[in-house]
Amino acid sequence: MRANAPSVALPLMFTLTGLLALCAGIVWLVMQPSILALYHYNQNVIAVTHLFVLGWICSVVMGAMYQLVPVALETKLYSERLARWQFVFHIVGFIGMVWMFRAWNMEQVGHFGSVLAVGVALFVYNIARTLWRVPKWNVTATAVSAALGWISLTIILGLSIAAAKSVNDYESPASTTGTTGVILHGLKWVAGFLTPFGAISTMHAHAHLGGVGFFTMLIVGVSYKLIPMFTLSEVQSRGRAVGSVILLNVGLAGSFVTILRHSALKPAFALMVVVALAVYGWELKAILRARKRRALDWGIKYFLTAIVLLLPLSVLAVVLSCRGLPQNTFTGQLENLYGFLGLIGVVTFAILGMLYKIIPFLVWFGRYSRQIGRAKVPALADLYSARLQALGYWAWLAGLAGTGVSIVLSNETGIRIGCGFLALGVGTLGLNAGKMLSHYFKPSPFPLPISTLPKTA
Amino acid sequence: MTTNEITEEAILETLRQVIDPELGCNIVDLGLVYSVSITGHKVAVVMTLTTPGCPMHESIRWGAQNALLNLAGVEAADVEVVWEPPWHPSMMTEFGRKATGVGTF
Repeated sequence: MRANAPSVALPLMFTLTGLLALCAGIVWLVMQPSILALYHYNQNVIAVTHLFVLGWICSVVMGAMYQLVPVALETKLYSERLARWQFVFHIVGFIGMVWMFRAWNMEQVGHFGSVLAVGVALFVYNIARTLWRVPKWNVTATAVSAALGWISLTIILGLSIAAAKSVNDYESPASTTGTTGVILHGLKWVAGFLTPFGAISTMHAHAHLGGVGFFTMLIVGVSYKLIPMFTLSEVQSRGRAVGSVILLNVGLAGSFVTILRHSALKPAFALMVVVALAVYGWELKAILRARKRRALDWGIKYFLTAIVLLLPLSVLAVVLSCRGLPQNTFTGQLENLYGFLGLIGVVTFAILGMLYKIIPFLVWFGRYSRQIGRAKVPALADLYSARLQALGYWAWLAGLAGTGVSIVLSNETGIRIGCGFLALGVGTLGLNAGKMLSHYFKPSPFPLPISTLPKTA
Repeated sequence: MTTNEITEEAILETLRQVIDPELGCNIVDLGLVYSVSITGHKVAVVMTLTTPGCPMHESIRWGAQNALLNLAGVEAADVEVVWEPPWHPSMMTEFGRKATGVGTF
């Protein structure tokens, strides 16, 4: 059987790694709620953020891209072997980075970050070569290409920040010769380049490159393919779809520069990103209105709720981009809320919804695709419990609300309780993932009735 | 003496064993099967999918071919997936609409 996608084991490895990182991150927040009750420029916040961003979100997103980009864009993955190597670099890189952020050893963050960067380079090269083969270019391919560019910039800036923070700990480059000297001169140059922008502005610019450029760009671009596919609809206005992706790219480029330079134009570009998301929401609404499949399953409900959460997130983004805001504890907590709502509210909620499409598909594809037509195989919805899905949805929503309010109030008890609800939400996904994976390890196809033909005399 | 006769009804009944796992409904009631032709012991089916780039593309095509080859009397089966005319929910049967929650047209 010819297939565009790689073997299901590859995306499943990434997905299971992501789920473990999500569990670890939520448990960490329950155990140490002060992380969200204090200003975010400290080692614990940065460590747990990278656990969520690299361990959870990037693992799942990259694994899913290896599976979905080839099938959604009707082409073949360039190299499965490169993807397997990326997995190794990714695991070593992100675990080491989180560990070293926790210990606040920036030299080692840089070293593990370089390992991660090798993996990201393999990922970008692999997906770019895959996109090169796309027979019919469309808005999804454009958004995926842009996301590859932004993730590359995110990694380069992240490594530059680590270099700038650790370079002063080295001996003077002037006293070092050979390759080491060249590297140290390079690090010094990077440190000199970033110093005028300020540590916090640089960190915020880095976060927006990844959060908006990679995650949001992919959510927008991929949903133009997946939402019509799952709801039996189609893109209603190509102009709106393309316009939203272009505006998002221009808005992000402007936001990056203005955040870095702490410019007065910051709100203008923040507004441009908000307009891009509003155009996206407009088109998504039109796609849903035109859908033929009236009932929305829980996976889609998770995803759409995440999109609705872009609304408060956008308001916060515009407010926080204003220069005149007082630099006090309350503003700091609003910034924490912004990051929490973006990563755990929008991106994670969207991914949780899509996981209810991705995991059953991978399991089904891995175990039942060759049985189809030979045995009675289950539908995707038969692989998991819709009740657990519903419970997980409400638990996640309650957790977001409770944690969000408690972050603003800097209330550690409230944050712990809110994160407890998030843990319940993750628990329901864990149970359902176990249910789905049980089919992977112990498939249960039923034999078909023996076919009969009419007999003629 | 009796002989097996392959009929279009038997082919369609067999293809009802092939489901689109995302929608949870068989390909015949989804309206994905465009034509069936029988030449002796050889069967050719022209079908489509709900969307180009459907992740289940190969599985469903493969499944349809498997199902046909399992049918007594069929020695060769050719399943071709086409995109023209594009599939539309109005092509579904009443059973298919009920099974997938799609409204009437």
